[in-house]
Amino acid sequence: MRVKVNGDRCQGHSRCRVLAPQVFEADELGYSFVVASPVPPELEERALLAVRNCPERAIFIEEERPMGSEGPS
Amino acid sequence: MADGALASGHTEEDVDELARRFGHHDEDLDHAFETYRVLRSECPVGRSERYGSFWFFTRYEDIYRAEQDPQTFSVSPSMLLPSFGNKRPLIPIDIDPPMLGKYRRILLPSFAPAQIDAVEPMVRAVARDLIDKFVTRGHCDAALEFARPFPTLVFTRMAGFPEQDYDRFQDWVDRIIYLRTHDSAETALAADEIVHYFLAFREQRLQEPPRDDLVGKLLGAEIDGRTLTAEEFADYCFLLLIAGLETTAWAVRASLWHLAQHPEDQLLLRQRPELVAGAAEEFLRCLAPVQAMARTLKRDVEVGGKRLRQGERVLLVFGSGNRDGNVFDDPDRVRVEREDNPHFAFGVGVHRCLGANLGRRELRVALEEFIRRIPAFRLETGEVPPWWGVGPLPITFGKPVRSGGPA
Repeated sequence: MRVKVNGDRCQGHSRCRVLAPQVFEADELGYSFVVASPVPPELEERALLAVRNCPERAIFIEEERPMGSEGPS
Repeated sequence: MADGALASGHTEEDVDELARRFGHHDEDLDHAFETYRVLRSECPVGRSERYGSFWFFTRYEDIYRAEQDPQTFSVSPSMLLPSFGNKRPLIPIDIDPPMLGKYRRILLPSFAPAQIDAVEPMVRAVARDLIDKFVTRGHCDAALEFARPFPTLVFTRMAGFPEQDYDRFQDWVDRIIYLRTHDSAETALAADEIVHYFLAFREQRLQEPPRDDLVGKLLGAEIDGRTLTAEEFADYCFLLLIAGLETTAWAVRASLWHLAQHPEDQLLLRQRPELVAGAAEEFLRCLAPVQAMARTLKRDVEVGGKRLRQGERVLLVFGSGNRDGNVFDDPDRVRVEREDNPHFAFGVGVHRCLGANLGRRELRVALEEFIRRIPAFRLETGEVPPWWGVGPLPITFGKPVRSGGPA
């Protein structure tokens, strides 16, 4: 799972940094950016919680498409 | 009743009356949550005759959309309704983009999360020192002795406002916030006093060596290649003073107001202090200090089937959006373990509260320290004080157990 913060929408509430600090960090003005994408499986739940708590709806999930590396098809 | 009865059990006349008399301050807040519930279902976009007449948006989605469109929903002449008695726009809240961003950028770094991490030890020390004064007494006024002085001390230190002027700050907060609905002349007088105070304070600070507090940042700031004028400085400090003191005091008091009446929530937070951060969000959702803010339409729009005209005032009722059942399960219940909580206590969009990270940290730390130090507490009197405002909150609690003492 990949996450993205839409910089045009983020207003720096920092809910994501509080709820999933290993996935999101804030810059010197307080706007959020992603520090772990793809999100390690054990942090996915926290990352999704951050998505649901963003009042600006600024965080997006990008499901990884199954690639050839998934194994023999 | 039968003919005009609506799904909510109210008649159309009831709902019309509720809409026309809708207000978002003082005693109107006593029954605000029931009013919100009725309006959200029966009249989500409506018109009140109060405060010079305004439209109100009570649904989460309508508020969100308005806040994503600051070109249409302007904060000029002010987002405050009624006003704080100020003659010029308050900075930054009464400023539209693009100037808004320039003003905010001056102080955004001081309120960024890493900076708030750095001041947390000071915030915690202030909370502890206040609690020390009443912890052995067995009772206190949790508003007068804790919720009000706590953010005042924290913020005067961060901002660099003179701590010895504490009583004047509190007096101004009372006259600005709580008299504006009854006595606008008194509020305007207080506003004048504040502006003069900060103009004089600026002169004084300019004589002193530069300091690295919020005032220092304002004095050193440049926008469009110039420093802030004396008036801009005063108008920014005015906003910081009121916003930094009153809102956090309200949030801390309202949280303790809830906990004093809910021993089961106290117990849960005592057993699992890691839940305090989420509980603080829930108190903000349900009992937010800022229940609504106003905008002015820059063009005609249609919202909720109503035609709104350019120049009309619109009230975004965050406190109602925060209890919208389309977004929050069991919306009128305070559930301290709630996990999904994208509430609008700090607004949403380009005017998101500049001090939100500080306010959140103050509330969490205040509750952590209060719960850790003060044993099970409850209201001292049978009468329940209002949930809103910063008025008295007398509570009583057993004396803390001393180590080595009887169990």
